[in-house]
Amino acid sequence: MNSIAAVATVTRWTGEAMQNRLRRRYRSERLFKLLGLLAVGVSLAFLAFLLVTMIWRGAGGLTLDFLKASDSTDPAMAGVWGALKGSFLTIIVTMVLAFPVGVLSAIYLEEFASRNRWTDLIEVSINNLAAVPSIIFGLLGLAVFLNFMHLPRSAALVGGLTLALMTMPVIVIAGRNAITSVPPSIREAALGVGASKMQVVFHHVLPLALPGILTGTIIGMARALGETAPLLMIGMRAFVATPPGGISDPATVLPVQIFLWSDEVDRGFVEKTSAAIIVLLLFMLLMNGLAIYLRNRFERRW
Amino acid sequence: MDMKEKMPITPVTPVPTPSAAIAAEAHEEGPSTVQAHQPEPSKLRSGSAAPAIEVSQEASAGPQVDTGRDPKMSANDVSVFYGEKQALKDVSIRIYDDLVTAFIGPSGCGKSTFLRCLNRMNDTIPSARVSGRIELDGQDITSPAMDVVQLRARVGMVFQKPNPFPKSIYENVAYGPRIHGLSSSKSELEGIVEKSLKRAGLWEEVKDRLHESGTALSGGQQQRLCIARAIAVDPEVILMDEPCSALDPIATAKIEELIHELRGRYAIAIVTHNMQQAARVSQRTAFFHLGELVEYGKTSELFTIPRQQRTQDYITGRYG
Repeated sequence: MNSIAAVATVTRWTGEAMQNRLRRRYRSERLFKLLGLLAVGVSLAFLAFLLVTMIWRGAGGLTLDFLKASDSTDPAMAGVWGALKGSFLTIIVTMVLAFPVGVLSAIYLEEFASRNRWTDLIEVSINNLAAVPSIIFGLLGLAVFLNFMHLPRSAALVGGLTLALMTMPVIVIAGRNAITSVPPSIREAALGVGASKMQVVFHHVLPLALPGILTGTIIGMARALGETAPLLMIGMRAFVATPPGGISDPATVLPVQIFLWSDEVDRGFVEKTSAAIIVLLLFMLLMNGLAIYLRNRFERRW
Repeated sequence: MDMKEKMPITPVTPVPTPSAAIAAEAHEEGPSTVQAHQPEPSKLRSGSAAPAIEVSQEASAGPQVDTGRDPKMSANDVSVFYGEKQALKDVSIRIYDDLVTAFIGPSGCGKSTFLRCLNRMNDTIPSARVSGRIELDGQDITSPAMDVVQLRARVGMVFQKPNPFPKSIYENVAYGPRIHGLSSSKSELEGIVEKSLKRAGLWEEVKDRLHESGTALSGGQQQRLCIARAIAVDPEVILMDEPCSALDPIATAKIEELIHELRGRYAIAIVTHNMQQAARVSQRTAFFHLGELVEYGKTSELFTIPRQQRTQDYITGRYG
């Protein structure tokens, strides 16, 4: 290389144009970081606002009596136990129905069904189903479970069934994603030593996909737990003064209870509403914590 | 834990083509490699005397190799289609006990596709369609009556990328025997695991950590674990699909050494795009090009006096 070329190379990297370029690059990088931070900040700020307001307003109402009592027309007597128990029963029904059915559907569609027009159609339908507004599921529950099958009105059973319909597509989609992300080399390895299709799925694919499936299930369950609209449609907005003894007793759930109390004229219910929100958030936190714990356990199994 | 390969660097014959072929021939005729690794007598297959017989046949066989000997596997006019595209055209090959058969050829020539026909691994690809007849001990394996699970237990496979299960080393090897019910007790299963790991030359390195994850091993160790997993179900044929392409030269040397040792027990078919490797480990070589089987013969002859111009061009590096 001759000296002129060498000088040209040096000026190429130290010249004015290049310096401007570099400066522009660093500037855009700083700007992006700032925007990202801002985005995180905004969402955190709203969350913090919610938490602070709720705790400020509701912490006083969060007594043992509040946790033990059921709904009442008198704000001083009203408690959250009935709704908590209703939520618990409903979510159990939802999980017992939606989890196995969703996971089995995901396994079947991903591993056993042949790819053709019908499975394409099913895939599109499931994706659409996951996006259907929950009130529609409420109407469906009302039509099928109450008017057609004559199941008990405003019971945790019907609430759970309706929410299971809503949650199932979410679990199927998450399950399919988790199953596809299991590397094909693992399937080949198992097939190569003479494992049958069933053995490949249940010995290898499913254990590896389980953390992903559980994550999807958690998200679906959390959504179901906070759902109000479909439960209003099947009559769970009734005033229930005794906590449900089983899944076929009249019940209400936490979000519906919050909705009902927030509508009360009596000023005493403001504190109750906030306290109930705190309980709901804690309940969700507990569930998510349990789910994350389970997920980690399964991830470490080998 | 020690992630490195704990092994002495053994010089393997990394020689250029002609002398490598001669070396391979020497391996083939001298039964030294078979005896070096003492197999227990009960495990020896009926064809244990085969190398000696084979030598006498080869002397007179001429270009028509291995006539008058029953092949372990034979393929007749096998064609494979992926959708509309034909990946393999009328391939006929025989694979024998006690011999390593190498499939060579440029990328996309169909050699892996053909290998995957031999244990019906192509069944897993929905668009693949296989025609022709493939036999294992005279039994047609392409017929729907063939139990594919049993076939894959009899025809084991080692893949390009080491793919141990994300389970312990022990579980990796024990999996096959367990699903096929090959052991009646825990101690018997432990015996199978130990024997398989010993045969794969991995026992000394892992015997103290059998319950650690198989994925924590080095690449070469993982591949030997996969070989141990394949031989744990006591297959008759082992298919290897470029088993060394993801490994460094030292690990490659170990695998090649292992192939020499396994040769006396199993019919081995190996796909490789490394011609030196084919010359080093195999006794028969098949050259594939554009989905056709161009030439098949003794490794020593194919690499020194190829009969086809295309083979000549490929092995001298004119394309591929």
